[in-house]
Amino acid sequence: MKVLIIDDEEDFRTIASSCLGLLGGAEVVEASDGEEGLKKAEKEQPDVILLDLVMPGMDGTQVLTNMRKNPATVDIPVIFVTTKGMFDGFDEMKKLGALAVITKPFDPVKLADQVKKIVEDAKAAG
Amino acid sequence: MLDANFRFNLKIVHKGAILVLVPLLFELVFLAVLTELLHRAEVEVQRQVRSKAIISQANTLSKLFYDAGVAMGGYSITKSPLFSDRYDKIVRQIPQDLAELKKLVGDNPKQQTILENLQKITVTGLKILGEAKAAIDDNRVDVAQFRARHMYKEIRSLADKLQDELRGLTEDERRIEAESPEKQNRSRTILKLFLVAGVVFNILIAFVLLWFFTRSIKNRLDVMTDNSFRLARGQALNPPVGGGDEISHLDGVFHSMADALMEAARKERAVIDNAVDVICSIDMDGKFVACNPACYENWQYSQEELLGKRFIEIIAPQDISETIKSVRAVRAEKGNMQFDNRVRRKDGTEISVSWSAYWSEKERAMFCVAHDITERKLAEEAIRASEQRIRTIINHMIVGLVIVNQDGFIESMNPAAEGIFGYKAEEIVGRHLLALFGDSKFFSEHNENDTMAFMETLFNQALNRIGEFDCIKKNGEDFPVELSLSELKTHEGERYMANVLDVSERREVERLKKEFVSTVSHELRTPLTSIRGSLTLLSVGAMGKLPDQAQKVVGIAERNTIRLIGLINDILDIEKLEAGKLDMVFDNSPMMDILERSEQSVQTFAANNGVKLEIMPSDAVVYADGDRIVQVIVNLLSNAIKFSPRDGTVTVVTENAAGFVQVRVIDRGRGIPEKFKKLLFQRFQQVEASDAKKKGGTGLGLAICKGIIEQHGGQIGVESEEGKGSTFWFRIPPARTDSTLVVTGAKDQIVS
Repeated sequence: MKVLIIDDEEDFRTIASSCLGLLGGAEVVEASDGEEGLKKAEKEQPDVILLDLVMPGMDGTQVLTNMRKNPATVDIPVIFVTTKGMFDGFDEMKKLGALAVITKPFDPVKLADQVKKIVEDAKAAG
Repeated sequence: MLDANFRFNLKIVHKGAILVLVPLLFELVFLAVLTELLHRAEVEVQRQVRSKAIISQANTLSKLFYDAGVAMGGYSITKSPLFSDRYDKIVRQIPQDLAELKKLVGDNPKQQTILENLQKITVTGLKILGEAKAAIDDNRVDVAQFRARHMYKEIRSLADKLQDELRGLTEDERRIEAESPEKQNRSRTILKLFLVAGVVFNILIAFVLLWFFTRSIKNRLDVMTDNSFRLARGQALNPPVGGGDEISHLDGVFHSMADALMEAARKERAVIDNAVDVICSIDMDGKFVACNPACYENWQYSQEELLGKRFIEIIAPQDISETIKSVRAVRAEKGNMQFDNRVRRKDGTEISVSWSAYWSEKERAMFCVAHDITERKLAEEAIRASEQRIRTIINHMIVGLVIVNQDGFIESMNPAAEGIFGYKAEEIVGRHLLALFGDSKFFSEHNENDTMAFMETLFNQALNRIGEFDCIKKNGEDFPVELSLSELKTHEGERYMANVLDVSERREVERLKKEFVSTVSHELRTPLTSIRGSLTLLSVGAMGKLPDQAQKVVGIAERNTIRLIGLINDILDIEKLEAGKLDMVFDNSPMMDILERSEQSVQTFAANNGVKLEIMPSDAVVYADGDRIVQVIVNLLSNAIKFSPRDGTVTVVTENAAGFVQVRVIDRGRGIPEKFKKLLFQRFQQVEASDAKKKGGTGLGLAICKGIIEQHGGQIGVESEEGKGSTFWFRIPPARTDSTLVVTGAKDQIVS
């Protein structure tokens, strides 16, 4: 499984890639902002993208919107990662085509399984 | 003259009748006697006339008889028809005269006898004469002569007899006639005597009666006149006058009237003597001339002390000038007047008195009733003070008060309301409440339909409860208020009181708090994510095997980080629950699915604590947000595990109860003391202060559970016996048959 992590925080990228790579055995690609994320998504064609919602410059929703405009990235599943809780409409995110939202902080041990399950469920659902 | 008893029962009308009737009776008797006497005199006169007629008639008859004899003699001699005619005429005349005489004689028996003899004699005589005439007519002169001789003798004797009889008759008449004047004279004397006696007697009777009436009526009238004077002077009345007539009746009535008056006076006296109020009269000089005993009770002065005292002396000095003015006004008014002042009692204390005074010009005195109104004044004072207190409270309270009438027009406003709306009370009074509301941008306070619709909305949302509204200040600025409307019953009718609280600041605080929570959520979670991730990676050996000591402390760090994350999540949850903003998606969910997910979450924790989980299967389906119910069950299970002894069992039972689906989580732990049961579902409450450290947990779990269950329209509770364990239960609604997915908000998939 190839996972693209788009997050402006280096600490998060490190932890998340360790959890997914070291513990989950996944291949992890990192991007530190939206621009880079879009490029890498197109180039790497990951199985799933963990996309941070709040970022300087292009934020998560903009990245997703742009991805959906690009035929090369339109079908890549996206999971939002956010510190925001239940305040903000998850519906909005779903409309943009996000599969799920994972809130920070997450359980590092379960993260890989969690992501795998979401992707498999989505594939099963078609 | 009259029997005494009889006299007592006579009425005046009877006495009057006697006064008239008695003399009248005597006069009538007098008149009858007089008539009789006159009649007798008349009879005497008639008798005289008749006697004369009888004598005359007797003489005529006697002469006729002789004439018949003479005529017969002549006839016998001459046979001349001259004598014959004369004879016939006399013969016819005699019975007529006899009948005449008989009529005159009437019923005098003596005379009647004489008349009968006369008749016989004349019949015999006339028979003889008849025979003689017949002989003459037959020319039997011899016989005639014989007869004549014989007859002559007979006639002669008859004529003598007749003469005698007639003489007797005449004499008798003459005797009667001679008697008459004497009789008449006597009658006249009697008449004269009677007349004089009658007049004297009449006068006497009149005088006697007059005396009688004078005595029986006038004397008693005098007594009554005297009685009326006595009554006026208040003296005892004369004893009742006698007699059964109208005067004695009138006297009786007068006595009853006097008694009634005395009784009335006595009652009036009793009323005055027992009156609670002071009743007194004050003369021209302002001195007391009369006073009832109440003065002692009221003013501590006895009646004796008060009489002669100047009225003004008992008035409190500060009220004297006003009182003098009032008294002058009473005199000028000449009617009833009232005034209040204070009376200084004998002991120097003062009482408030209400005077009702009347000036009598006739008696040159002022009559007063003085009523003690001290208590009333005190009560009025208390009411005034109470009103003042309430006014002060209203004027200084922070809540704005707006009083409106039934139609919603503003009648008054307190200073707080003035401050809130920026209007002065006098600017806004009379306008409609709508003017203070944001709605006035779209509706007119001058349109009755608009104001009525507005009031209806207001009643619906704020009558006896707190409603939130947008109001508008005088300067046009919008601001939020909390408003509650209550009915206010006043003596002027029904009013409504609007309590208005400007909540702009509170809204601002809420907004800041929300922002703060959001910030905390983001700013704390980000570093915690990294810390936890790092620690977990270390502890699971992802970075290589750690020395035992290091492994131990990394474990401590990881556990506490997780606890910190839990605390932050709980705080965020509870804030949102209390704001009613914890988004939930309700759906028909099978309980078994929820129970299994819950079991999975706590399996490891249970195993670590050596506690066995016993989940009873259920086919119930609930109408709920499955994830949230899992959160509740996990929370209850975690608690149950924490407080269960090692090798204990925690049981979860799902059943139907009162139209709800009830879930019970049963442990066999130490139980919960009675006094904590109520506190249990409040924030940061734990049975023992040390529990937070020993058992972990934030003390928010049950409060969150309660919030979630209540948002489902359910109930949550606990039953527990100390030492035997606790049963936490909750009830949520069963599946809806008609339900489709109802999304009340977004749902996060929480991975923590």
